[in-house]
Amino acid sequence: MYLLSLLIFIPIGTALLVLLVPSRFGRSFRSVALGVNIVQVIILLLILSQYSYEGGFQLIEKIPWISIDLGAWGVLQAEYFVALDGLSLSMVALSVFILLIATISSWTIEKNRKGYFVLLLILNGAIFGSFCALDFLLFYVFFEFMLLPMYFLIGIWGGVKREYASIKFFLYTLLGSILILIVIVALYISVQTPEASDRIVHTFNVLHMQDLNNLIPDSLLALDSLKLIGSFSFRYWAFLLLFVGFIIKLPAVPFHTWLPDAHVEAPTPISVILAALLLKFGGYGLLRFAYPIFPDAAIHFSWFVGLIGLISIIYGALNALSSKDLKRLIAYSSVSHMGFVLLGIASATVEGITGAMYQMFSHGIISAMLFLIAGVLYDRTGDRMIENYSGLASKMRNYSAFVLIAFFASMGLPGFAGFMGEVMIFFGAFRSSAVNGLIPTWMAITATGGLLLGAAYYLWTIQRMFYGPFAAKNVTADLTDLNNREYSMLLPLALAVLVFGILPQLLLNYINPFASEFVNNLFQSGNPLTP
Amino acid sequence: MIAAAEYPLTLWLTLGVLGIPLLASLSCFSIKQKFGWLAPLISSVLLLIASILAIVLFFQIRNGGEASYAWVWFTLNQKEIAFSILLDSHASIMIMIATLVSFLVHLFSIGYMDEDQHQLRYFGMLGFFTFAMIGLVMSSNLLITFIFWELVGVSSYRLIAHFQEKETASKAATKAFLLNKIGDIGFLIGLVILWSLSGTLEIADPNLVSIPPFWLTAAGTCIFIGVIGKSAQFPLFNWLPDAMEGPTPVSALIHAATMVAAGVFLLMRISYLFTEDVLILIAVTGAVTTVAGAIGALFQFDIKKILAYSTISQLGLMVMAMGAGAVQGGYFHLLHHAFFKAGLFLGAGAIIHALHQVNHESKLDVQDIRNMGGLRKKLPLTFISFAICAAALAGIPFTSGFVSKELILTQMATWAGNDFTWRWIVMGCAWAVTMLTPVYTVRLVWFIFFSKPQRDHPVEEVPVIMRIPLIVLSIGSLAVLTSLSPFHISSTINVLMQSYPINNSAISFLSTTMILISLTAAFYIYRNQDAKNQKFFSPHLYLDLISNNFSLFALKLSEATKWGDKLIDSLIHGIIHLQVGVAHIVTWADRNLLDGVVDGVGHSAKGLGTMTRSLANGKIQSYLLWAMAGLTIFIVWILY
Repeated sequence: MYLLSLLIFIPIGTALLVLLVPSRFGRSFRSVALGVNIVQVIILLLILSQYSYEGGFQLIEKIPWISIDLGAWGVLQAEYFVALDGLSLSMVALSVFILLIATISSWTIEKNRKGYFVLLLILNGAIFGSFCALDFLLFYVFFEFMLLPMYFLIGIWGGVKREYASIKFFLYTLLGSILILIVIVALYISVQTPEASDRIVHTFNVLHMQDLNNLIPDSLLALDSLKLIGSFSFRYWAFLLLFVGFIIKLPAVPFHTWLPDAHVEAPTPISVILAALLLKFGGYGLLRFAYPIFPDAAIHFSWFVGLIGLISIIYGALNALSSKDLKRLIAYSSVSHMGFVLLGIASATVEGITGAMYQMFSHGIISAMLFLIAGVLYDRTGDRMIENYSGLASKMRNYSAFVLIAFFASMGLPGFAGFMGEVMIFFGAFRSSAVNGLIPTWMAITATGGLLLGAAYYLWTIQRMFYGPFAAKNVTADLTDLNNREYSMLLPLALAVLVFGILPQLLLNYINPFASEFVNNLFQSGNPLTP
Repeated sequence: MIAAAEYPLTLWLTLGVLGIPLLASLSCFSIKQKFGWLAPLISSVLLLIASILAIVLFFQIRNGGEASYAWVWFTLNQKEIAFSILLDSHASIMIMIATLVSFLVHLFSIGYMDEDQHQLRYFGMLGFFTFAMIGLVMSSNLLITFIFWELVGVSSYRLIAHFQEKETASKAATKAFLLNKIGDIGFLIGLVILWSLSGTLEIADPNLVSIPPFWLTAAGTCIFIGVIGKSAQFPLFNWLPDAMEGPTPVSALIHAATMVAAGVFLLMRISYLFTEDVLILIAVTGAVTTVAGAIGALFQFDIKKILAYSTISQLGLMVMAMGAGAVQGGYFHLLHHAFFKAGLFLGAGAIIHALHQVNHESKLDVQDIRNMGGLRKKLPLTFISFAICAAALAGIPFTSGFVSKELILTQMATWAGNDFTWRWIVMGCAWAVTMLTPVYTVRLVWFIFFSKPQRDHPVEEVPVIMRIPLIVLSIGSLAVLTSLSPFHISSTINVLMQSYPINNSAISFLSTTMILISLTAAFYIYRNQDAKNQKFFSPHLYLDLISNNFSLFALKLSEATKWGDKLIDSLIHGIIHLQVGVAHIVTWADRNLLDGVVDGVGHSAKGLGTMTRSLANGKIQSYLLWAMAGLTIFIVWILY
């Protein structure tokens, strides 16, 4: 059925077609984009109907892509290899949902509609491509493909400081990509296909890379390689490069400063995509590439990974507390919540990994909701400063109800999706010291401080902006409550937050097999290697 | 795992009691604003149904024994986490009381919140609050308990902030939630410890306690921190007096049946989990709280704050009882307290409502007991019900408060033993509170109802719908419901619970005497005293100072992280500027040095070209010359 290819290439093909249409059909572009999103929803439903709960890779599509004979250097081989497992399925489902919402949110874009929706569609295809690709080169191509539309979407349709923000975003992400690229090259040199052949066939296949038997003896990343830089082997360095490359995307402290700027300047739909989907590539990359390919290094560095997670949780939350701009506050809360993902991954327990995936999913929905909420206010007043408002709850009643839901969901109130992820991560992080001894218990306990700070900055914001007597500085326009278009975005998101908070098994059916397999593989192939 | 499958009725009752308050809440939230007047009716009727079901359920459990149900909720790491329910006699009584009190509060609110613009939200949250509490009581999985625990917290947050335009109300709500959150995080850590070491969170699973003693103590302490937050114990109790910013019926609910009761109930529910060390901590914390609360209540003037401090004191007593081996006594006191404290709060609400009706315009603080006085004749029904409930609070014989306080004192006497140890100090606190409670109760009742009126309020008794709850609750505060004879309580209690210790008549005699002494003393202290002459005393034990400083510290820290980000950014800007600088140098070098070299090469090439061009000057002779020279060189090279 080529469902995955359809998912990836329908938006890209549509984008190319749209390019041919003259700009004067301004209003039709958004309908086209929405049509693509609806088709994707249908494809997702078909995928879900075919996907079985047993786990493993399904809906595999594998076509030779590049095959070059390099003589003495062996054969270069890259494939068009896409498939879904629990990890990517949860992310694909999230993306379909969020991109639909983002298109609805883009409905009011006035400036250069054609360019905007073309870029949005390219971004759309690239996101699915990256989540589905199992060939590292293919992943990299899609991954880079996301960067450029994002740069322009922030840089052209953004706020006042958009140029600065977009360049910062671009440079940071590019740095991450380069680090990843270095590792891709190193891996390519060191890994061969297991298929018997008289020549060495180099491959970018991630599944081959994950099998340590496929490492070419005496190669750069071979297990017994004695080449060291400093006191670390090449494998450890490669892991660290991948790790840094992906946590820039996550983002984790200290590589996070692009995020608040990008978010503050980006238009609402782009903020939504950025927070809900693009940040997930950090966690996705660690779970898909860094950890399984370098299990030994992952185990070795897990303490460090956990520490970075912990620092992100606390540091991000503290920064959110001091933020005066609503969008900046939400951006920092993302840093804090993504820190939980890192902590869960570092614990390398089934609970922790499950929780990390659940957290990525739930943060996707919740952060989308949060940025839409910030957008609703900004659309009406052009002002996001918290101190300029007071008593909004008495003026915009329904809006405030959604704000309350989103804020409480984000601070991890039970019944909402955010809680499930966080509690699983705590289970995992604490259990780690008893099960595998990777991260100490104090990390788990200190991380709970993030919950308290989360409650503090959200409640304080509610108290300042929404309660009290009504006042709004610099606002002359009448503050109207939500309109139908805004309902059509916020209501499904709120429902999703509730459903995944009350019925976690809906998602766990898909990610449970992945988590246990992930942990098994990690310790089977990683543990004998660590001294 | 349905153990009581032969009682399908019990199952339906359980689901009904749990679901109906939720239904009430949801229907309030889905009604359109213009049908707002429907909300009080719908939710009150639904709550009435729920309380009837709860009563039936109670008898069902008493006759049929414990019931437990479990549904798999989700699987994590191949272990199933179940939504499990355990209904024993304790839980079923608690549910009965919670729904009943909640129903009465609903009824009272119909009158009290009559003029409120946000009745939908109010009744919606009230129903949700009840739902959360019932879920908490029913649950036998600690994760589920925790979930309802937090839901109770968030409902209280929303209700305290009901008058959200008032700045103090929203501040009080934030404070309540944050202090509760500290406790909740403790609870969560406790859960995490239990899960990671035992792999289960089922209360009924014996594996739960089969973990190393150190970690069991740690888990117990952490869960107790949760109780400290929720049940307003030292040092996290200062949210409770502030929570008076909410509507008065909400205070009744918070203090009686839903919020603060949750902590004490949890202590009883998982009492087998606590190690000896944790029990010491519980008893001492309770003792400190009970004395601090009683002293706080002595020096307040706001009627609701006096009641709030008395709640803190009573909760401390219960918690102390739980830690000091008087589990049944503490639990019984919790049930009795639910009735008389709800009665007191609703009575206070009736007084405030009545005074508010006639003081609409004036800035008079209608909650200040110094502005009351002489209301005995004007509000006779309120007076009688308030006095009965206050008597129960003071622990006067023939009231329910006396019965349970006796039980606590008896059980604690056994616990303390005959030799003087630290346990005697804890027990001393219990006795001190037994004597202090009548003093502030007399003060409260005296100033409101007896003292000379400061103003002549033409007040009227509250509407009938608000009187019913007062009557019911004051009857419930009499001892007749639990025991016909004040000195022999075991008779009726044995019907309710399976086993029960009999109180010691010597202790009963002693405490009765002491209560009477303090009553008399208090009467003489306050009889002629002018309330205005009393000194102010910081009732929060300076805890507010600590929490304020703590939040200031957090803010400072957050400012520091802001600078941290600026530092990172300036580092990056520095690198980029450096790069740009280097690029400029390179450009300069390119233009001047490299280009110079290139130009130089070019120039020399040009020179060379000129030279060679000069060779090709178009003269046959010179060509011939060069050809000859070339040929010569060639021949020489060939030859050698």
